[in-house]
Amino acid sequence: MSILSVLVKAIVGGVAVVGFAALGTAGHPKRFAGLFAAAPSVALASLAMTVALKGPAATVPYAQGMLIGSAGMLAYCLLSLYLIDRLHALAGSILSWLAWLAVAGGLYLALER
Amino acid sequence: MMDSEQLLEDDHEPVGFDWSKLSKASLGEVAIRFVFGATIALIAAVVAHFFGAKAGGLFLAFPAVLPATLTLIERKEGTTKAWADASGGALGAVGLAAFALTASLLLRWNPVAALLLALLAWALVAAGLYFLFRVTSLFLKQDQLVAKRR
Repeated sequence: MSILSVLVKAIVGGVAVVGFAALGTAGHPKRFAGLFAAAPSVALASLAMTVALKGPAATVPYAQGMLIGSAGMLAYCLLSLYLIDRLHALAGSILSWLAWLAVAGGLYLALER
Repeated sequence: MMDSEQLLEDDHEPVGFDWSKLSKASLGEVAIRFVFGATIALIAAVVAHFFGAKAGGLFLAFPAVLPATLTLIERKEGTTKAWADASGGALGAVGLAAFALTASLLLRWNPVAALLLALLAWALVAAGLYFLFRVTSLFLKQDQLVAKRR
């Protein structure tokens, strides 16, 4: 893994996030716009770059890991719904990272053993 | 605090895109999203290098940008709109799983087609669930289940 390839992945990932975020900003009603908050922006950019750099077979485990991570993303969104209503957006959305960590990390450890 | 009447009013808006809203987004907001997106892509690559590709892949579905997005929405439009955005995000997350499953099954066959079909799977599942929840009373049930009782 060269530093250059990591930097290119980071820049392409950032650009993809800005692109999908634009759809979320312009979209209405808000629940529909929220779909783009969980768009595969970083995933699309990273998987495409990995295919280009390492080939499709080496990219498959990234996608498998992402499948586990997406269970964490669902847990994150559900907990953030509960917490935003009680703690406001900043504290609620940051604390909800714990749900991602517990579900994605727990599933990863359980499935990889 | 979430306002159920405001939420109901918002839910009745027609689905679409108002591109004029993009001109109201500040350069700072765009920069924050870029930095969070770039950082998580960087973390995924570094984790993959040290702990394996599957561990790195976990971070392709990490909600890195959501705290910034939800906080910006709350500041501009209130807590109810931030809640609604997170509510849509939960459906998008199911679509994210469809994206990852499609990609992992098809990448070896044809990587370009796999990523395009994975993106299509995300769009179909996320939008399909949204319209299912919208035309049934599932959004209302979800709100009643999770919202603070008052």
